[in-house]
Amino acid sequence: MNEPIIEVQHLISGYDEHVVLNDISFDVVPGEIMVVLGTSGCGKTTLLKHLIGLLQPFSGSITLLGHDLLRLNEAESIKLMRHIGVLFQNGALLNSITVAENVAIPLEQHTNLTTELIRDLVYLKLELVGLKSAAPLLPSELSGGMRKRAALARAIALDPKILFADEPAAGLDPVTAASLDQLLLKLRDLLGMTLVVVTHEVGSIKRIADRVLFLHEGKALFFGKLSDALKSDLEPVRNFFNP
Amino acid sequence: MDTPIVKLPPVITHQQTEKLRKKFKALFDKKQFSPSVEFDFQEVEQMDSAGAIFIQNLRSDLEKNNVEVLWTNLSPAIERTLKLFKRPLPPVFKSEKKNFFEKIGETGYNLSKYFAESILLFSNIGYWSFLGFFRPGLRRKGDVVNQGVLIGVNALPIVALIAFLIGFILALQSAAQLRQFGANIYVADLIAIAMVSEMGPLITAILVAGRSGSAITAEIATMKVSEEIDALTVMGVDPVPYLIVPKLYAIIITLPLLTVFANIIGITGGAVIGVTYLDINFVAFFKEVFTVLRYKEIFTGLIKSLSFSIIILLTATYFGFRVKGGAEGVGRVTTASVVASIFFVIVADSILGLIFYFGESAF
Repeated sequence: MNEPIIEVQHLISGYDEHVVLNDISFDVVPGEIMVVLGTSGCGKTTLLKHLIGLLQPFSGSITLLGHDLLRLNEAESIKLMRHIGVLFQNGALLNSITVAENVAIPLEQHTNLTTELIRDLVYLKLELVGLKSAAPLLPSELSGGMRKRAALARAIALDPKILFADEPAAGLDPVTAASLDQLLLKLRDLLGMTLVVVTHEVGSIKRIADRVLFLHEGKALFFGKLSDALKSDLEPVRNFFNP
Repeated sequence: MDTPIVKLPPVITHQQTEKLRKKFKALFDKKQFSPSVEFDFQEVEQMDSAGAIFIQNLRSDLEKNNVEVLWTNLSPAIERTLKLFKRPLPPVFKSEKKNFFEKIGETGYNLSKYFAESILLFSNIGYWSFLGFFRPGLRRKGDVVNQGVLIGVNALPIVALIAFLIGFILALQSAAQLRQFGANIYVADLIAIAMVSEMGPLITAILVAGRSGSAITAEIATMKVSEEIDALTVMGVDPVPYLIVPKLYAIIITLPLLTVFANIIGITGGAVIGVTYLDINFVAFFKEVFTVLRYKEIFTGLIKSLSFSIIILLTATYFGFRVKGGAEGVGRVTTASVVASIFFVIVADSILGLIFYFGESAF
C-alpha cells in the first residue's frame, strides 16, 4: 500500500546556466496530500512543471505511477497523463467555450464514450465541485473562485490518481480559499486521489497538508510531517510559519 | 424462466465502458423479454465514475422496459463508488429565447447606444484636439513625434513596395489596351490620375488602418483592460488629450505625406513599364504626367487622405475604448476595428469621389 506513487531522486534543473533546483529528493505515498512550499522564487512552480513533464531536468529521475517520466516516449507519456490531473494557477480554462465543454475536453479526447454518458459525467463532476448551475456559462462570466472550481472539475474529469494543484488559493479571499481547500480534502477522501499542492499560504497549508516539502534557495530544506515542520528549528522554516 | 446472470469484468473504467456497452447491446437485443436480469459484481475490482454511471444508466434503461435488475456480490468499495457517483439530474436552465420583436428592439437599442457613445467620444476628441493644440502640456511629452515615427516613418518601406507594385501592374494592364490604339503615351495620364486621386490615398489608408489602426486599438484596449486608463483618470490626467490627441496629430500629418510618397512611387512604377515595355521616353512620360495633373486631382487626393486619417483614428480609438473582458476581448476589438476602419475608408472614398466628380463645376 505504501509503495510511493511519486518518487523524485536527485533532481537538478534550471534555466540556461542558472540552477533553480539543486539535488531535490522526495516521495509521495498514495492518498496523502503533499504540499510543496517556500518563499516566492524558490522553485516551487519549476518543480511542479517537472513533475507534470512540461520541463526537462538537467539530471535526476522522476518516477510517476511506476513509470520513469524522463524515459517515456510521446505516446506513453500521453497515456500516463490520463492518470494525472493538473489545476493551473489561473484555472487555464479555454475562454471561447462554455464550462461544460471545458470539462468535456479530456473525456472527448481520451475516451470513446457516448455523448450522453459524457454529458452525465460532466454534470457529475460539476456537481462534485458545486458548480452544476454554471455549466452553460463562459469562463469569463465566472468569479475567481468559481473558475478554480471549474478548472478542478476539468482536472478530475478522468478520475486521475494524482492531482497537481498550483497555488489553488492564489488570488482568492480567505473564505473562498478555505472552501476550495475543503473541496480538495473532500475529493481526496471520496476519490482516493493523491494530491501535490504548491502553495505559500500558511492557512491553506495548515488545513490540508499531511507532509510538506520546504524549498529554500533551490534545496529541499525540510521534508516530513506538517507537525514536525511547525516545530522545526530551521530558521527559514520558522520564519515562514511565524513571520 | 431462469434469470440470466451477467458477469461483469474486473475493470470498469473510462477505457472499457464503451466496449462493455457494445457487448451488452447485443446481449439485450436477444433477451428483450426476460423479466429479470442479475448482474454479478463478483469479479469487479476497479470502477471509476464513468463505469458507475454506465452501470446505473443500464439499470434505469432496463427498468424502464419493465425488467427487474438485481445486483449481487457487491464489495463494499464498489458499493461506495456506486453510491458516490449517482447519475446527476440534468440541471434546469431558464431558456432565454428571444422573440423576433425583442431581437429587433435589442439591436436597435444597442445601435443607438453605440452611436451615442461614439458621438460622445468623437466630440470629446474634437474638443481636446482643438484645445490641446494651444496647450501642449496636456499631451504626453514628445508623443507626436514618437507616434509620427511609428505611424509614418516605419510604414515607408511597405507603402513604397505596395505603391510601386500597384502602379506597375496598373500600367501593365492598361498598356495592353491602349497599345491597340497606338495611344501608348496615355498610360502616363492614366497612371497619374488613378494614383493621385484614387489608388494612392486608398491603398495608403488601408495599409495604415491595418498597421497602425490595429496597433492603436490594441494599445488602448490593453490599457483599459489593465486599468491603466482608470489610473490616468484618477491621477487627474484626461486620457483623451494625453493619449489620443498626439496620435491624431501624428496620423493627420503623416498619412497625407505617406500618400504623396505613395503617389510618386506609384507613378515611377508606371514609368518603369512605360520605358521598358511601351518605349516611351522617361522624360516624355513625366512631362505628360505633369501636364495632365491639375490642382483638382492633387487636392482630391489630399482631402481624401486627410479624411481617411481621421476616420482611421476615430474608429481605432472607439473600438479600443469599447473593449470588454480580458486578453481575449483585446483580440476581438482589434479585429473588429480593422474591419470597420477599412469599411469606413472605402465608404468615405466613394462618397468623396462622387462629391468631387459631380461637384466639378464648383472648382
